[in-house]
Amino acid sequence: MAYDIQTWVSVAAFTGGGMAMGFGAIGAAIGEGYTAASANEAIGRNPGQSGDIFKSMLVGQAIAESASIFALVIALMLLFTKYPSHILSVPVLLGAGLCMGLGAIGSGVGSGFPAGAACQGMARQPAMSGRLTTNMLIGSAVCQTPAIFSLVVSFILLFTDFSANPVSPTWAAILGAGISSGFGAIGSGLGGGLVAQASCEGISRQPLTVTPVTNVMLLGQAVTQTTAIYALLVSFILMFKSFPATDAIAPPMALLAAGICMGIGAIGPAVGEGFAGQGAVAWIARNEKYIADLTRSMLVGQAVAESTGIYSLVIALVLIFVV
Amino acid sequence: MEDLGRIHQIIVPFFGHNMTFNLEVMIMTWIVIFSLLCFGFLAAKNKRLLPGPLQVVGELFVVHLFALTEDALGEELSKKYAPLICALFMFLLLSNWLGIIPHLEEPTKDLNTPLSFGIMGFFIAHYAGIRAKGLKTYLKGYCEPMFIMAPLNVIGELAKVISISFRLFGNIMGGAIIILVVSYLTYSIITPPFLNAFFGAFVGTIQAFVFTMLTVVYIAVQVH
Repeated sequence: MAYDIQTWVSVAAFTGGGMAMGFGAIGAAIGEGYTAASANEAIGRNPGQSGDIFKSMLVGQAIAESASIFALVIALMLLFTKYPSHILSVPVLLGAGLCMGLGAIGSGVGSGFPAGAACQGMARQPAMSGRLTTNMLIGSAVCQTPAIFSLVVSFILLFTDFSANPVSPTWAAILGAGISSGFGAIGSGLGGGLVAQASCEGISRQPLTVTPVTNVMLLGQAVTQTTAIYALLVSFILMFKSFPATDAIAPPMALLAAGICMGIGAIGPAVGEGFAGQGAVAWIARNEKYIADLTRSMLVGQAVAESTGIYSLVIALVLIFVV
Repeated sequence: MEDLGRIHQIIVPFFGHNMTFNLEVMIMTWIVIFSLLCFGFLAAKNKRLLPGPLQVVGELFVVHLFALTEDALGEELSKKYAPLICALFMFLLLSNWLGIIPHLEEPTKDLNTPLSFGIMGFFIAHYAGIRAKGLKTYLKGYCEPMFIMAPLNVIGELAKVISISFRLFGNIMGGAIIILVVSYLTYSIITPPFLNAFFGAFVGTIQAFVFTMLTVVYIAVQVH
């Protein structure tokens, strides 16, 4: 039984939409649950502050949810928009759904950590609740960056016209681009959340250290996002480089493998860098005098943790340009 | 939706080579440069003990960025590099904010701008490292922990340039694309002031700060 192309495009749109929202629902729910658990603990510890803590819990959860809302937007666009019946629409729709769905996991979980730490900080140090909220907002917003990268890749996939490109290697390049950015965002969102959690906790413990702790938090989060940026780079190369038409199976598989390699390879280093940043930020708050030494050892540690991500990048680039 | 990620270019033939100019980016860069020159001139024109509003803003930038550089580099080196860091931050900040004004675009949206700043930071950091440690110690740093690791250390250094410039580029261009797509999907009914406030003002400020901070830290890592 043979189906026409339009049927396959619809199948891809439904599958992609389902994957976008299905995967996208994982992260934010975990993050929000963590926030709520911390808020309960905080209210139990200091019931007098329950109003403030409750408010900050809701704000933190709203930010954690934004990654899932991105996924919902992409899922709705996949379900209710009519796409051209071209064979390349199939990988585009699958890739866009997979990219946004996977990309929302890390940021959702990660944004929950600073919100939880801010709730507990308010119970511990009610006078600092304004500064804590500001710091939590900055930290959570930076955690969303990997999810925003995934959203951008999904948008570019959906709104760029690939129909002039040869079908054979392009389908793999498109799918690889989506997978790379999608998986690549998981670790960075999670790691950035760990760093922001440490900064909220540190501010509540030692309120005088707000400025250096926020600065180092931003630095740690930025370095944590490095591997997500490599994944974005690989996605961009896969989407915008023109590949010669081929009938052989090896070149498209190499492109797909490049995306998978960079995407999965980006998860671990980013979580590890997040741990490094968490430790450094937490101890800068306790021992502000040694901020220069702590920052330097954090950066060196992160650079070493990142080296496996760089290996993935090298292999992905070799797969794209050499094979 | 055709202008998704498109850049207006002018291509000039020059002795058999085609020279490509990204016209829009160049104009926007000059707008940023001129506004900064005007700001600097006006802020420093009437220096008084009781500062006027522009002088306060100028002093705010200078004091905070000098303190930031001094924390990372120490007193002696910070005198040398803090003016550069100040200029870098103010340029990036204004560049990222420029997209909020309709019909103007961020120069940082084009990869060429962040990449050139990244390469500049790379050369400055390594120059500072060689000056501070001497060539021999500097080269020895690449052979740690083993001689075989040298190529990987070099790749790691080059990857820093990629990560610092793509971080800025990805954030700013990503914001621009999201604003474009959302206004297209909603037929510009929900005009994007909130999105502009988030991606232009908030993310733009954070990314300008992160870029500046990373440049300082890269110099510090090379020097120490």
